[in-house]
Amino acid sequence: MKQSGTSPLLQGAVQDLASGVVSALRSGDHARAAAVPAAADGEAGGLALAAVRVLGADALLPSTLLHTPPLPDELAVFRKAVETYPPGAGAGPTVVWSHWAMRRTLRRLDPGHADGPDEEPDTAWLEGTTWQLLTHQLAVLAALAVPGEDCGVARAAGQRPVDVARGFVRAVRRRDWRQAAGAGRWLTLLEGVPPTLGLENGLDFVELMGGQDPLVELQVRAARLTRTGAFV
Amino acid sequence: MTDTRLIHNVGAGALEWLWAHRDGFRLEPDVDPEIGFLERFKPVGELAMICKVLFREGVAGSRQARLARQLLDHAWRETLDGGRMLVRGQLTEPISPIPFEVYLPFKELGYSQPEVERAAALNHRLDSWVSFEATPTRRLGLSAFQRRFGLPPRPPEAELRGTTWLARTPEPWTVEGHIAYDVTHNVFHLTDWGERPDGLPPGTAEYLATWLPVWIDDWLDLERWDLLGELLVVDACLPRPTLDERAWKGFAAAQQPDGAMPALRTMPEGTPDEVFDIVYHPTLVAAYASVLAMSRSLSRMAEAS
Repeated sequence: MKQSGTSPLLQGAVQDLASGVVSALRSGDHARAAAVPAAADGEAGGLALAAVRVLGADALLPSTLLHTPPLPDELAVFRKAVETYPPGAGAGPTVVWSHWAMRRTLRRLDPGHADGPDEEPDTAWLEGTTWQLLTHQLAVLAALAVPGEDCGVARAAGQRPVDVARGFVRAVRRRDWRQAAGAGRWLTLLEGVPPTLGLENGLDFVELMGGQDPLVELQVRAARLTRTGAFV
Repeated sequence: MTDTRLIHNVGAGALEWLWAHRDGFRLEPDVDPEIGFLERFKPVGELAMICKVLFREGVAGSRQARLARQLLDHAWRETLDGGRMLVRGQLTEPISPIPFEVYLPFKELGYSQPEVERAAALNHRLDSWVSFEATPTRRLGLSAFQRRFGLPPRPPEAELRGTTWLARTPEPWTVEGHIAYDVTHNVFHLTDWGERPDGLPPGTAEYLATWLPVWIDDWLDLERWDLLGELLVVDACLPRPTLDERAWKGFAAAQQPDGAMPALRTMPEGTPDEVFDIVYHPTLVAAYASVLAMSRSLSRMAEAS
């Protein structure tokens, strides 16, 4: 699951940002360093902002999962990324949904800046899709796999736990660790996952094989926090 | 669900190729003892087993049924010299189960060679025969063959069923080629090569119904036609086969115009014998998958009408 259309510089910035999120999730305390760097000007600032947009709602995942309020600077950069990169007119459903997830996160973490009504995008593109494509799309939208946060995509996933489990197996077999980790994160939220999947060991396996990639590690950490109920 | 014509054509093509290349089923009586005379018996046994399935299911066209009978006659009379080569193999390696395994489908189809039967009955009494080290799936297969031969299986199949990889329903994402072949053969033994789909324990059937689609998807994309063919057989052994259209179309597209099925990606290069040795197995498997899938597809239509 490569990020297509992103420059090596941006990919590096996304990796750095994901590493920061992983560190914050790992430390799990209030005195953590900010995952999202403070606003900067010029090219570096633009890159950091774009990286936040690529990582989406997961840029503030430590605050979401650990119930720690984000630092003001983090929140400001996140808000700026939401405002700077609205989905274009012809944007695909994953882009629209990932932006929606960012706005939802913003509303939750910064209620004072609520920005009007927020209708859910539709999930028609997931209806009747193959289990292979369903899992791929869900993995792209893994930032929506947040405990206690209902939405159309989560409901679509909830209706097809066996298909998502199949997609997890497929991703592991193909060594697509990012997709496997994203699918695994969804599976920790779903009812009706076949016990023979061996999800817990599966997530450890994905981490062992692909965990040097911070984007994989981020999903595995999120899944573990979800599974252990640390967010409650 | 896949068009039955497509499934039928895969099997019909495979049988044409097997008949045209029947001389490839050959023994090598003067082979180096280090390689072993019995090495080349396996293809003959597989041919007989699959022709037997074809007769049993009764869904092949009249030409396919005739070709299968001619292939069996050829293998018995020419390749095995009326069964005398099985006796020779048994005399060369007295404790080997291979002559017995090759003989069984022929016996079930009415061919007879009493000396092989005497050796099988004697070997069956030997503790060595019960104890030689083999994988759990192979051991299960040997016991199933003893039952079919009319001997009390040693060890009983009930003791063996729980010892295989598949019986333990392990993590499906750990499956690789060798494990996948163990799974397919385990299913063949549990169902008597598709004759008794209810031989699959419910938990095993449910496990396969859940995860087989992933493995089929995977080996289809890897273009490993030999293994894909065996997985399509497993699908046809399930209580509710999927007869997956994408997999069957890919499998059919890989088949050559003369009916040969490559083992991996495309046809190999080499002498006719070298090509035969690589391709005969996936082509046999194609015939086998076709006849079982046809049979299940027709039963389903009959149930629906």
